[in-house]
Amino acid sequence: MAGAAAVEHRDRFGLGWRPELAAAILAHLDRIDLIEVIADDYFDAPRRDLRALRTLAAQVSMVLHGVSLGLASTVSVAPGRLDRVARLLEATGAESWSEHLAFVRGGGIEIGHLAAPPRSEASIEGACRNLDRAARIVGCAPLVENIATLVAPPASQLDEAEWIERIVCGAGVGLLLDLHNLYANAVNFGDDPHTFLRRLPLERVTAVHLSGGRWIDGPYGARRLLDDHLHDVPPEVFALLRELGRLAPQPLTVIIERDGRFPPIARLLEQLDIARAALAAGREAAA
Amino acid sequence: MSSPALEEFLARLYTDEAALAEFLRMPSKTARTAGLNDVEVSSLVGADHIGLVMAAASFRAKRERRKSRRRLLPWRMR
Repeated sequence: MAGAAAVEHRDRFGLGWRPELAAAILAHLDRIDLIEVIADDYFDAPRRDLRALRTLAAQVSMVLHGVSLGLASTVSVAPGRLDRVARLLEATGAESWSEHLAFVRGGGIEIGHLAAPPRSEASIEGACRNLDRAARIVGCAPLVENIATLVAPPASQLDEAEWIERIVCGAGVGLLLDLHNLYANAVNFGDDPHTFLRRLPLERVTAVHLSGGRWIDGPYGARRLLDDHLHDVPPEVFALLRELGRLAPQPLTVIIERDGRFPPIARLLEQLDIARAALAAGREAAA
Repeated sequence: MSSPALEEFLARLYTDEAALAEFLRMPSKTARTAGLNDVEVSSLVGADHIGLVMAAASFRAKRERRKSRRRLLPWRMR
């Protein structure tokens, strides 16, 4: 894979590449180790845009992040969707790619977002099958990301930590651990976030997402934490990053995702500095 | 437990407000009519219905947000 040999063995910190942040990111590459590009935004891009991405990848390490494959499904991912990932990786020279442990469609109905499938033997088998197919067609397996869910997935037989471990270890892939998703699911369904963290296959974690969210109201007075990527990373998530740094000695790539209500770049850079400090504190505590 | 039929059923609940309302009124009958097996029907009857409503509303909002974002961005960035 292009650029793979150049991956440095140290913790790295970066931002999700968004058009609204592009100029500010380019102006602060001295404080940003890498960017994460949403792959789906470029599947149909003209060659000129792909050349621009390749030029960008020559300036700063780039990873691709997919949102629409629906890997955690009992239905096979269409080869054409994986071909697009392969072509984009080749065209951009990005060093790696990632996708979510989610299903996004069923029976031809597009949900339009990431949905948590039933956590069952069948969805584990389906996800492992899809990951094997993805690795063969794309040429390398994706990192897989845990998702946030407002609903306890119906018809589940396993809890989330076990379900993730079975897929990640069964497919032999790396885990992109989204700490805000972990935190949101834990508080929404009555788990302790740190216990949840410790139950995951942390030796498989190579990348981390950080983001923020807000509490929303539901029927019958219910309140749940929505992962909306529109708010700052909360202190509880930085505390999880510190704990991860203590428990997982391998180099980690940490990316802050922000999809809207964009603050000044100084605010995002400050959040990156807090992430650096949190992970370093965890490393020191383990030493 | 999980099947293409169950995923299709959930996808419909997340995208079709009328289908979700009907399911919440008559969960067992709606799931059975969709061709789900007894185990799937039973687990859907006892599912997190509040969460289903909240997830469906969240997905709807995100679809709308994406649509308006696509209208605002230059076509090359869509």
